[in-house]
Amino acid sequence: MSPAVRIEALTRAFAGRVVLDGIDLAIQPGEFVALIGRSGCGKSTLLRAIAGLDDGVAGGGTVEAPRSKAILFQDSRLLPWERVLSNVTLGLAAADAEPRARRVLAAVGLEGREDAWPGTLSGGEQQRVALARALVREPALLLADEPFGALDALTRLRMHALLAALVARHRPTVLLVTHDVDEALTLADRILVMDQGRITRDLPIALPPPRRRSDAGFDALRGLLLNALGVPEHA
Amino acid sequence: MSDRASYELISVADVLLPIDPPQPRPAPRAAPVLAPRRLPAWGILFGPLVLVLVWEAASQTGLLSPRLLAAPSTAVTSGFAMLQAGTLQEHFLASAQRAWLGLGIGVAIGLVLALASGLTRLGEASIDGVVQVKRAIPTLALIPLAILWLGIGEVMKIALIATSVLVPVYINTHAALRGIDLRFVELARSVGLGRAEFLRRVALPGALPGFFTGLRLAVTACWTALVVLEQINTTEGIGYLMNRARDYGQTDVIVVGLAVYAVLGLASDMAVRALERRALSWRKALGA
Repeated sequence: MSPAVRIEALTRAFAGRVVLDGIDLAIQPGEFVALIGRSGCGKSTLLRAIAGLDDGVAGGGTVEAPRSKAILFQDSRLLPWERVLSNVTLGLAAADAEPRARRVLAAVGLEGREDAWPGTLSGGEQQRVALARALVREPALLLADEPFGALDALTRLRMHALLAALVARHRPTVLLVTHDVDEALTLADRILVMDQGRITRDLPIALPPPRRRSDAGFDALRGLLLNALGVPEHA
Repeated sequence: MSDRASYELISVADVLLPIDPPQPRPAPRAAPVLAPRRLPAWGILFGPLVLVLVWEAASQTGLLSPRLLAAPSTAVTSGFAMLQAGTLQEHFLASAQRAWLGLGIGVAIGLVLALASGLTRLGEASIDGVVQVKRAIPTLALIPLAILWLGIGEVMKIALIATSVLVPVYINTHAALRGIDLRFVELARSVGLGRAEFLRRVALPGALPGFFTGLRLAVTACWTALVVLEQINTTEGIGYLMNRARDYGQTDVIVVGLAVYAVLGLASDMAVRALERRALSWRKALGA
């Protein structure tokens, strides 16, 4: 099977500062990959390069990614002057865009809020609309750039469960950028650790579902990853 | 299966939330007033009302001579008489027509220029500098040229009102179009919007608040220009009425004219606000 995403010798630099320093990466179709690292390590730059949102940035290398991709930003990035439903169907040309959007909105638990203005929704609801906007496209590749970073802890836990359920149903390839080790361990099949523009660890995560933070395997991996991130654990 | 997982995660979180036992509330104490409390809706009328009362009292006691300023009650009586005679309506309509025609034409031109300049490079290169130069020249300084070109009739007056109105509409709409949030541009690219759809769904709605700011300034500019222009060669209109009244020393008619200008200005501003509320109803939902 050919990989869904293939990256070779990818470099990027901002104003002479090297941010991506020769990345090689292959992601298999249907794989859920989490990319973690300290801020400034280049993880968002890598995601934007795969998304094709970085023209004008200096660099080289090749990126092969499916055309069918959707991006989940850290902010929900909903158009405040469009109602929830039109936000979800934005740019969707399919004839059945609207019924599809209604179904996806129901799947993220927002049935009945189709005509609401985004500004009247809570942060978690707005991010669920953004998730619906991404999923309604049935993307082969879902790129998520710290999508839950701005949410409170309880809402974040709910969003993890929701994302896990939806991904299990639709099976897109997922690349999730996060700085939250627990989030990565809860959701991903494979975790990449980045440091100074390079991928320094590539860990398959074989924990069986449901993953609980109190499990011994989860705890061991967390210690390993925190060490890789340069945060020694003092338990 | 995965739904089950979600319930497990959530129930862990729920256990972590302690429930506080109800505490008796301390007896309320008079809190110091740190910021003035909100004014009721009619509260803003208090100042004008006091002013009118003082004015009336000054006139009644002879402190204020009717040669300098008529009493409010006299102005009301005169205004009522002019209404009954039909002269006030006539002059009012003449002024309103002038103002609204100039406003409409000016807003349309300002909007078209702003779109051309905000959305195309050629447009910006050719239009923006010219409007900035126009902005530096007060419209009233153009009166001599306008009279030479267009005469002293209605066309000159409407053209000058339109000229003074288009500047604020242009400046604010253009700035809003240029200042579109880059995050929305990125979003539009990521969902594959074409140029036409980007304009219709992102750029134009995003610029609408700026357009309305310009429109409200335009309404003010329109009345200012009207007042000055109506002093030049007019045989009807509120300005003509007031000029003639000055010649005859009728201060009551001058006060009526001022009141009519005030009513026209307030009514226009209210109309723009109502329009804005409808067009930007997504903002009202935020309580903004």
